[in-house]
Amino acid sequence: MTPVYLEHYLLVGAALFALGMIGFLARRNLIIMFLSAEMMLQGVAVNLVAFSRYRGNLGGQALTLFILTVAACEAAVALALILMLYRRRKSLDVSLWQELREPDQEPIVDEEPLPKRPEEEPSPRLTPAGRTPSPPTAVPQGARGDHTQEQETSHV
Amino acid sequence: MQTFLQLYWTLLLPVALGFVGVYLLLPRPGRSLPLLGALAGGAALLAAGFFVVRLPASIPESILFYAFAGVALLGGGMMITQKNPVHAALSFALVVLATCGLFLLQGAPFLFAATIIVYAGAIVVTFLFVIMLAQQAGLSDADQRSREPFLASLAGFVLMGALLCVLHKNFNTGELDRLLDEVEKVAQAKTAQEVKNLLGDPDLMPFGEKSLNLVTQLSAHFPETEKRLVENLEDAWGKMDVALLTERCKKVIDAGRRLRLATGILTPGQTRAGREREDGKKDAQLPLSPYSGVPANAKIIPTDDGKIPERLAARNVAALGRSLFTDHLVAVELAGVLLLVATIGAIAIAGRRAEGLR
Repeated sequence: MTPVYLEHYLLVGAALFALGMIGFLARRNLIIMFLSAEMMLQGVAVNLVAFSRYRGNLGGQALTLFILTVAACEAAVALALILMLYRRRKSLDVSLWQELREPDQEPIVDEEPLPKRPEEEPSPRLTPAGRTPSPPTAVPQGARGDHTQEQETSHV
Repeated sequence: MQTFLQLYWTLLLPVALGFVGVYLLLPRPGRSLPLLGALAGGAALLAAGFFVVRLPASIPESILFYAFAGVALLGGGMMITQKNPVHAALSFALVVLATCGLFLLQGAPFLFAATIIVYAGAIVVTFLFVIMLAQQAGLSDADQRSREPFLASLAGFVLMGALLCVLHKNFNTGELDRLLDEVEKVAQAKTAQEVKNLLGDPDLMPFGEKSLNLVTQLSAHFPETEKRLVENLEDAWGKMDVALLTERCKKVIDAGRRLRLATGILTPGQTRAGREREDGKKDAQLPLSPYSGVPANAKIIPTDDGKIPERLAARNVAALGRSLFTDHLVAVELAGVLLLVATIGAIAIAGRRAEGLR
């Protein structure tokens, strides 16, 4: 008799799926939304493999491999999209794209201010010592190097 | 409503605790109670392990199941509640590793390796993105606020509760297993006294009430055609014929195990349309190919010593490969095309168009 039953794996899969859905609905960071979608796929994969084991049939495992393929494609396209969206808005906040909402929807306005973070102490600065080096002159590098060497030797 | 709660409170308690935990832990700018949320989440996990799963804690497989399932759910909860996206990505890696453990437990070593490789690659790429994009300006609106945390977690946990109840109703074999264990104890009884200790003495029962609690409970699980098997048990108990009782108990156990494995298996009409046999007839019993294993609706025949044959050995990597390239060849080709298209699409989307205009 198998000590772990089909039901338990199905329950784990369902819980992972629901957690992923919460993450996708509630979070506003594009990357975390993407990870939540991946977690929903993981829940489905657990389900399929459990059925595969339970029925003694490799169909579930084969289907999981295809899920893996789709997840890889999704990762590639989603990350490219995220990169493009980030370039436009300089932020990963999905609420910055809310002009794409339906026309009769109210916009989301953040009323509560973010807590102020303690200001970081500026890093200590050393007072510059010695003479400020003069900017390099526009003489070609090879020629100038030879020239200074000659000067130095003449001084000695 | 009351009967529903009575039936499913063991499932709904962890779900409710999880809801409180996730709701309190979701990031928000104002006052939050992270400690309380973590406590509620932990209590939800413990309650789920204690009430829902209820496995013997000594068999290695159940210990491993507890460990992997616990880590997967803990990682999932942490992933959706972390403010820092780097920590969220790390938690997701934890979820993937734990589900890989679950794959290994279920005889899928190839998927175990493939998932680790593919997701490890994906995670590394995600990490690069996170570090590159999110960490430049520190925490932002996107990380410190949630969109409708109450409604989102309510929706998620209502879905979870509904799924859990349906799964529990359709796939729970715990009750049947408990009853079958009792029948097995009766089958091992050697003397009439032992049987009387286990089931009670038929002579002491008042006339007309010579029914066994065990039999009524068991026959509720059996289909009409097999109820006779269970009722025979009562007959043998009434006569106190130990040899007959043992024999009939064994029959009931066999039938019960078949029934247990048949739980959740679709009827032939609902499975795939059926493959054509060599004579041109469609047959739903025919497996896709010998490499795919037993078809879902095949009869389960116990071996001579009464054991159910191992349904999917862990050494199935070669079989999976053959099955992929015989039964699912078109799908494999399509998956390859999909990957190619995704690669091209990703390059096209992410390419710097502005540079081309200059």
